Amino acid sequence: MGRTYRFLLHLYPRKFRETFGEEMLRVFQEAAEEQRKRGPLAYAAFALRETLGLLLALPGAWLGGQPIRPLEMASEASGLPADVAQAQRCIDASIQGMVQAIAHHQFEKARFYSLAERKAREDMRRLKEAHGISD
Amino acid sequence: MSLADQPRHGYALLKDIERLSQGRARLSTGTLYGALRRLLEDRWIERFEQEDTSRDKQAYRLTASGRRQLARDLDRMQQLTRAGMARLRASEA
Repeated sequence: MGRTYRFLLHLYPRKFRETFGEEMLRVFQEAAEEQRKRGPLAYAAFALRETLGLLLALPGAWLGGQPIRPLEMASEASGLPADVAQAQRCIDASIQGMVQAIAHHQFEKARFYSLAERKAREDMRRLKEAHGISD
Repeated sequence: MSLADQPRHGYALLKDIERLSQGRARLSTGTLYGALRRLLEDRWIERFEQEDTSRDKQAYRLTASGRRQLARDLDRMQQLTRAGMARLRASEA
């Protein structure tokens, strides 16, 4: 399983691997050690969860792999006021959360993110009105 | 939410999330680190080196804006729960 894990990690962007790769492998090994003690069934479920988890998180790692920057810089780069940029990130985070929740068949959680997204869009509409920004 | 009371490293986060959810949420490392990356990008958490541990040196803690965001999110969830409970009670009455 360790070899498969390393292989799947290589599918991730280089920057992501450099930042988290070794740490993820350590955490995985620690968790694997614990699951092995629980028996073959628990270990098989764990191995499946880890494989699917790495595959499902892959698109997010590629799509969201921009360099980390402070909020002020992000808003400068997008040309939007900081609070509007923040509202946009709330919308994006809600959508990502919803997609992840659906992927994990957590429909209650998906509904929560859907409500959060609606609320974030409403906040965005008010902020844009206040700043006089049109869509 | 797992970082609200103290900083934690990756494995401790996995265990704490499982405990917090009473065993219902067992995150994979891929899901955990995808979420940590987003939270770092949003500057809601920060990563630092813990000197006093032998294995996992990298740990995570909430930033001031992360703490504010968490409070806002919990407040929203509380409002949602209250609204849901009120509707449930109204339908039972």
